[in-house]
Amino acid sequence: MTDSSHELPRDTSVRGRVLDARLHLLDRQIVDPDEVPLATVDDLELDGVEPGDRPDPDAPVRVRALLSGPLLMTRIFGGRVRRDRQDEVPWRDVSDLDAVVHVVKPADEYEASWTERWVRERIIARIPGGRHAPE
Amino acid sequence: MSKVLGIFLGILTAIGGFVDIGDLVTNAVVGSRFGLSLAWVLPIGVIGIIVFAQMSGRVAAISGRATFEIIRERLGPGLSLANLGASFFINLLTLTAEVGGIALAMQLASGIEPLLWMPVAAFAVWLVLWRVGFEVMENVVGLLGLCLVAFAVAVFLLKPDWGALVQSAVPKVPQSEHPSTYWYYAVALFGAAMTPYEVFFFSSGAREEHWSKKDLGESRANVFVGFPLGGLLSLSIAVCATLVMLPRGIQVESLSQVAMPVAQAGGTVLLIIVILGMVAATFGAALETCLSSGYTIAQYFGWPWGKFRKPAQASRFHLVMIVSLLIGLGVLATGVDPVQVTEFSVVFSALALPLTYLPILLVANDPEYMGEDVNGKGTNAIGLIYLAIIVVASVAAIPLMIVSGMGA
Repeated sequence: MTDSSHELPRDTSVRGRVLDARLHLLDRQIVDPDEVPLATVDDLELDGVEPGDRPDPDAPVRVRALLSGPLLMTRIFGGRVRRDRQDEVPWRDVSDLDAVVHVVKPADEYEASWTERWVRERIIARIPGGRHAPE
Repeated sequence: MSKVLGIFLGILTAIGGFVDIGDLVTNAVVGSRFGLSLAWVLPIGVIGIIVFAQMSGRVAAISGRATFEIIRERLGPGLSLANLGASFFINLLTLTAEVGGIALAMQLASGIEPLLWMPVAAFAVWLVLWRVGFEVMENVVGLLGLCLVAFAVAVFLLKPDWGALVQSAVPKVPQSEHPSTYWYYAVALFGAAMTPYEVFFFSSGAREEHWSKKDLGESRANVFVGFPLGGLLSLSIAVCATLVMLPRGIQVESLSQVAMPVAQAGGTVLLIIVILGMVAATFGAALETCLSSGYTIAQYFGWPWGKFRKPAQASRFHLVMIVSLLIGLGVLATGVDPVQVTEFSVVFSALALPLTYLPILLVANDPEYMGEDVNGKGTNAIGLIYLAIIVVASVAAIPLMIVSGMGA
């Protein structure tokens, strides 16, 4: 991908932009409106296609959610993650896509940031000075 | 602060921050055993780190993305996880060596056992990471690191035969040494000059200081003037060992022996200055390696990171740094010699260089991230030459280590 001719065409029509889900979504950083990193897109939840099936050309496959969490390890090493342990960011929350994926709500409001909040409340915020900016 | 003063300060900081425990030990060992016959490696390493640092800073300033985010996007989750594992391990090794180095330098200053200094050193490193802002941290340790100029002063005070010194600076395997040992130390010296953590540190530091395209000129001045002068400091460490240790057949095996020529040349005052410089240099590098361990992991997983945030707003990043320091401290507590850890860390650094260097080179050529600021032909030509050197050094590192018995 060093040649600009490989870039996907930017479609300005009503139908929107053409994206490659692997290239423009997977492994991209998700940030909230204040540019606070939320997570990396570890996988996608698709509607309209079952694993192993070919997509039906008449019923378009839709991205339902961006997934993150323990799923990353199963993507690399194989296996499955229980449904209730996947952290989702619903697709309707995505406001923009450039080098990163922008979402509309603050990072703390998403399930995907629970480890950040857990470590903050249990450990880091309890150490003196943890809630103050360095000087 | 005026712009000129800012650039001047940046250059001084770059000089003072150039040397770490790896450079201190490796240069002195090499000087005491090989004289200046390996001095040719230094300019190669210095130019390499200039190219490397410059490219990663530019990528960070223009794309707004730090190195490991990009490595993950480009290499995919599996390959970049392997890269993360290797980079993190070497980073940890270097951090361990630097904390041990602080303790050894404090021992020189106080006479108190390094084992007692190690927890103090690790705690001080953590406290600075916890409470001190990025720029203050960078400037203070960089400026104190300038005390290492004492090595250069010592060279002049030792009144060497300059002609003979220059003549000895040709690549040649000394008769007393095996060629594999010579090349082993060539790789170690290269690894010490180009330690991979610097790339994570530079690219993430550019984000910490919120660089944009217009800050690149200043960073260029720091790198292009500061690093060669820092390289001269490294060289003067080797020259000191060449002048004092080599004729007496003493091999440098401890940090006190690294400082000995300075004491002989300049007495107590110069020794105090050089010890201060050693403390600052190892302390600064411990901060940088510890930050780098947090940067790499946080960027791979997409966590909030950076000293510009409150610790509570980057909690996992701070937790990674605390755990890294504790692991390093645990390794040192086994009583392992920090100088040996250092020797391992520089060789493994050489081994890991392609892992960080190749992705940076690829991204610096990718218009999706860099727009019209992709690498020019000249930069790419140098970049490719260095890629070849780095791959050769990396492939040769382990075989040379085994054949030479770690340079025994």
